[in-house]
Amino acid sequence: MAASSPAEIETGVIEVLKNVSRRPIDPTPASDLAADLGFDSLQILEVVAELEDRFDISIPLNDVPAARTVAQVVAQVAALVNGAATA
Amino acid sequence: MTLARTLPEALAGAARSKRGYRFLNARSAESYRSYADLYDAALRVAGSLAALGLGPGDLVAIIVGDPESFLTTLFGASLAGVVPASLYPPAMTSDLPSYLDATMRVLQACNAVAVVTSASLLPHIDALRELCPALSAVVSFDALQGPAITPGKTPSPSEIAFVQFTSGSTATPKGVVITHRNLYANVTAFSSAYGVNASPEDVAVSWLPLYHDMGLVGMALGAIYVAADAVLMTPEAFVKRPIEWLRALSRYKGTISFAPNFAYDLAVRRVKDADLAGLDLSSWRVAGCGAEPIHASTLSAFAAKFQACGFRETAFQPSYGLAEVVLAATMSPGGRRLHVERLVADDVTVRRVATRANGTRAETISVVACGTPLPGHEVRILDEDGRLLPDRHIGEIVLTGPSVSPGYYNDVDTTRATIRNGQLFTGDLGYLSNGELFVCGRVKDLIIVNGRKYHPQDLEWGVADLAGIKRGRVVAFGTTSAGGPDRAVVIAEPSGTVPASELTDAIRRRIVDVCGLVVDDVVLVPSGTVARTTSGKVKRSATKMLYERGDLASTATATSGA
Repeated sequence: MAASSPAEIETGVIEVLKNVSRRPIDPTPASDLAADLGFDSLQILEVVAELEDRFDISIPLNDVPAARTVAQVVAQVAALVNGAATA
Repeated sequence: MTLARTLPEALAGAARSKRGYRFLNARSAESYRSYADLYDAALRVAGSLAALGLGPGDLVAIIVGDPESFLTTLFGASLAGVVPASLYPPAMTSDLPSYLDATMRVLQACNAVAVVTSASLLPHIDALRELCPALSAVVSFDALQGPAITPGKTPSPSEIAFVQFTSGSTATPKGVVITHRNLYANVTAFSSAYGVNASPEDVAVSWLPLYHDMGLVGMALGAIYVAADAVLMTPEAFVKRPIEWLRALSRYKGTISFAPNFAYDLAVRRVKDADLAGLDLSSWRVAGCGAEPIHASTLSAFAAKFQACGFRETAFQPSYGLAEVVLAATMSPGGRRLHVERLVADDVTVRRVATRANGTRAETISVVACGTPLPGHEVRILDEDGRLLPDRHIGEIVLTGPSVSPGYYNDVDTTRATIRNGQLFTGDLGYLSNGELFVCGRVKDLIIVNGRKYHPQDLEWGVADLAGIKRGRVVAFGTTSAGGPDRAVVIAEPSGTVPASELTDAIRRRIVDVCGLVVDDVVLVPSGTVARTTSGKVKRSATKMLYERGDLASTATATSGA
């Protein structure tokens, strides 16, 4: 898969968050997944699964707690997407 | 079939069979371990534990998330003749310092002599040693390579098989002692024709945590005693992709799988229609359900969604039990459709009688039948003064029989409060009808307002689907001020999508609609305030305590300006 631009990844992450939430949310890069967007641990794992499918990556579960904001999720996905592309 | 009397004998018996565990890892990569291989590995673990100087009566705490490592350690400890205790590992999203604090209190309370854990947790647990005087060894599972011992003498049935630290709804977890006699009695009962009718031809499929009775006894140990194959995956794998549970059942022609109500709900909501193609659930003959309140609507929705894949509603076997009876006390018979009673809500809350609704009344409560007591076990319903209640009268569920635990490890006071003369006072409310048990809630958490009794679960469930509330993050309870009447309180975590004043109004309105109760106080709290136990139940008493002490921050102050 071709490397995606940071803007494309951000758009994709926000789309996944909106789909999983099933509620009207308006995520920005600074939004905290739990405090601002109301994601619980079950939904966060659902987000992980959706991101893996969409970007064809595998997100290690150990890394999940470190990503609390949308921007941090985008950075994690970008690292995995570009890492896979250059491998 | 006749089963082994003790866990070491069951392990040796399974090792002589041609069966084993199939561990599914991330992305469904699998590793198969025959019970013979596992037995050899467990004998090496036993050798390592003996080399550490551990002996009979020493408690070894097992804090291991990986299913294969967890089970090998548990079996090794059992073969070494020490007392294995399962503690829950940190949840993926949990805060490590508070997890370690709770773990330290458990290790202190049970005088753990050794801890076996994962390489990544090892330094953190090792740092607790100076505050745990009894703790002499903290070792990584990877270090337990033997040499193997030769199997020693068979333990007596009254010796401890394992201690299970429950995720009970109180601040400090309690260690339930399970003897070999308890374990043999319960596995024999639930494996019999009155339960799941298990045979070596069965294939169990489970994602349940092994530090919980349903996963450990119902699935992993049940398979060992019967010498049947079991397919095991992690709870995280299931929660991430619920379809993987069903794919495992389909791929390995699973026949028995247990899960709590929420798992069936998650599968209904999360499994995509596109993923139903190619899924064959026709081999699944026992879909056990227990460990938390069972909702008829959830199970019906599951049956409807997966009918096209060959799932049969008659596979559902709702059951009632708790760790203090090893696993199960009652189980509904196999091959029956769900048996649900619709009751007059007022009669349940006011008169404490289960009157069937005649169809014209608006306010009803649906209760799923949990079956009759397993052979050798007895269920009685007692009132607050300990008097036996007749059929269809609601009272505390009290259990007797060979599965009842002798008590909590190193905790005489809690034992005396719960288990007396072989009778387990469950704290759960229910009624019997024609010998069949129906469970309605819990005694201790009742909200009593103006002489009427309400189950907090009913309030919580009633508002669960309101927009603006985080799913499952609602707690209801009654609080008593000196001399005054009970006040009904609801604590909820908002998702931030509905303005606070609208949300509190909506909660109040819904509870009036559902229960006829006017809530005295609704508090919206920041994310993470409504604590949950490791099996996902809300910690009602812990939240109540914070509220009563005035330590509960509302979102009005916590996120002001947001």
